Amino acid sequence: MKKSKYSEIKNIFIDTVDTNSFVELESTAFNYQILEESLDKPLKMILLFGKPGTGKSMILNRLYHNLKDSREIHYFDAPILSEKEFLKNIYESMSSQKIPQNMRVNFDGLLKYCQKLRGKREVMFLLDECQLYSEALMEKIRLLSDTRVVKFVITLHKTENEDVIAKEHFKTRIWEVIELKNADIDDLEVYIQKKLLQRGFVEVSNMITKKDIKFIHACTKGNFRETNKFLYIVFNIYEYYDLYKPEKINSTKLSKKILEMAAIKIGYIHD
Amino acid sequence: MINTKELEKRWYKYKTKGVLLVVSILAILSLLIYGGYYILYKLDLNIEKKEQPKKAVLSATRVVVKEKNISTPIEKKSIEKGDSDNSVMLSPTIPVIDLEKEKLKDIRARKRAIDYNIAKKTHHKPKKRLVKAKASTYLTASELAEVNGNRYKAKREKKKINMKLSSSNYMSVMKQKFKQNKNPREALLIAQAYYDAGNYKKAEEWALIANNLDKTSDESWLLFAKAKDKLGKRREALKILVVYYNKSKSSKVKALIDKMKSKSI
Repeated sequence: MKKSKYSEIKNIFIDTVDTNSFVELESTAFNYQILEESLDKPLKMILLFGKPGTGKSMILNRLYHNLKDSREIHYFDAPILSEKEFLKNIYESMSSQKIPQNMRVNFDGLLKYCQKLRGKREVMFLLDECQLYSEALMEKIRLLSDTRVVKFVITLHKTENEDVIAKEHFKTRIWEVIELKNADIDDLEVYIQKKLLQRGFVEVSNMITKKDIKFIHACTKGNFRETNKFLYIVFNIYEYYDLYKPEKINSTKLSKKILEMAAIKIGYIHD
Repeated sequence: MINTKELEKRWYKYKTKGVLLVVSILAILSLLIYGGYYILYKLDLNIEKKEQPKKAVLSATRVVVKEKNISTPIEKKSIEKGDSDNSVMLSPTIPVIDLEKEKLKDIRARKRAIDYNIAKKTHHKPKKRLVKAKASTYLTASELAEVNGNRYKAKREKKKINMKLSSSNYMSVMKQKFKQNKNPREALLIAQAYYDAGNYKKAEEWALIANNLDKTSDESWLLFAKAKDKLGKRREALKILVVYYNKSKSSKVKALIDKMKSKSI
């Protein structure tokens, strides 16, 4: 079966938190540096927050992969909503012991265990999607961080209705807050080009003009997840034309028609 | 894979909508521009229409001079129009100067000046002689009375008769003079003389003649209106003055309008 080069290109834009697909941007590099510096400070909790698709998980993932060999660091990429499971996971990560299925971790016992380790060890936990944790569990996280043995880096979705940072336990304990924002036009251009160049698609990267970037930015508002989704559909359409109607596409310039078709498909513009 | 055919159809629909939107915006814009132009054009027409009655009044006066009948149907119509809408009559008019008439006026003025100088020279010399002769050869009235006894009174009466004669002579001389040079000034003087003598019909006629020769002369308009007023046509006189005032903005005319209005009130 005939295969199009666009099949491979579209896969670049599949939304993942794979460190290999991480694109170093000016803004993300700055935020990452702040985060790394914060880890060396005697902070109990570090908050990473921003709208969905601004790259919070990506930064957390990158941090984990960069520090996993030099520090005692653990990454919970999916939220553990059960308190029992959460405490079990914390204890297993710290003690490197497997707890049998029919047993549970006593929170007081865990606190005592942490207090015994004070001054000897510093364990770091990276918790993604913390807005899903319950108040009670957040309170336990706070108590664990008070032992100064466990340090938490948490990510939160910035929501308009609920100002999570205003909550008491965050107000008093979070000493470092890093806000991630959507990319501007220049950052988005670098992001798309770097993504394509990393995989060696120089020609396709050159096809995208500043005007196209502006159109993409107008549709996605510079959100990385939305941009990935948009470009995935764009190259999906390209793949179709390349396979069945190659006379309809130009390999030197990104088609405005296809960009608009993708925007219609996602619902950025209405037909 | 995405249903690209379906998506393409949706894209065509989207584009058609876009084109229609642009076309409708352009149509609205052109409609607005055309509408604006049309309104302005209409306004211009209205202004012209407003000016037309004034022209009718002015042209009516010309007809009147020829036929010696002021209340022609055209004038009547224009006056009736004025009756219904005084504001139209009082609306500002654009003064237009006829350059050919202006030239003609200049030539006439120069001619008049020359005539006047000649007349001055010819008139003054005999006067001087007369005075000199009087001093040496003739007696004064009192001297003569002394010589002839009580004949002084009779002589005075005779003098009165002479005065009357000279007045009628003045009219015939002025008319003769007007026939020769068609000077509006002469016509105006005749009109004034008739007015002073109480012959308002004649005064009106001569004021119109003067006015026909020189439309810019305030005196001819004023005298014409005054004569009409005396003939009991105050309303008509007022309307004519208002039309002229709109054009000339003369303070004298305004004063007369106010005076007439206050009288009629």
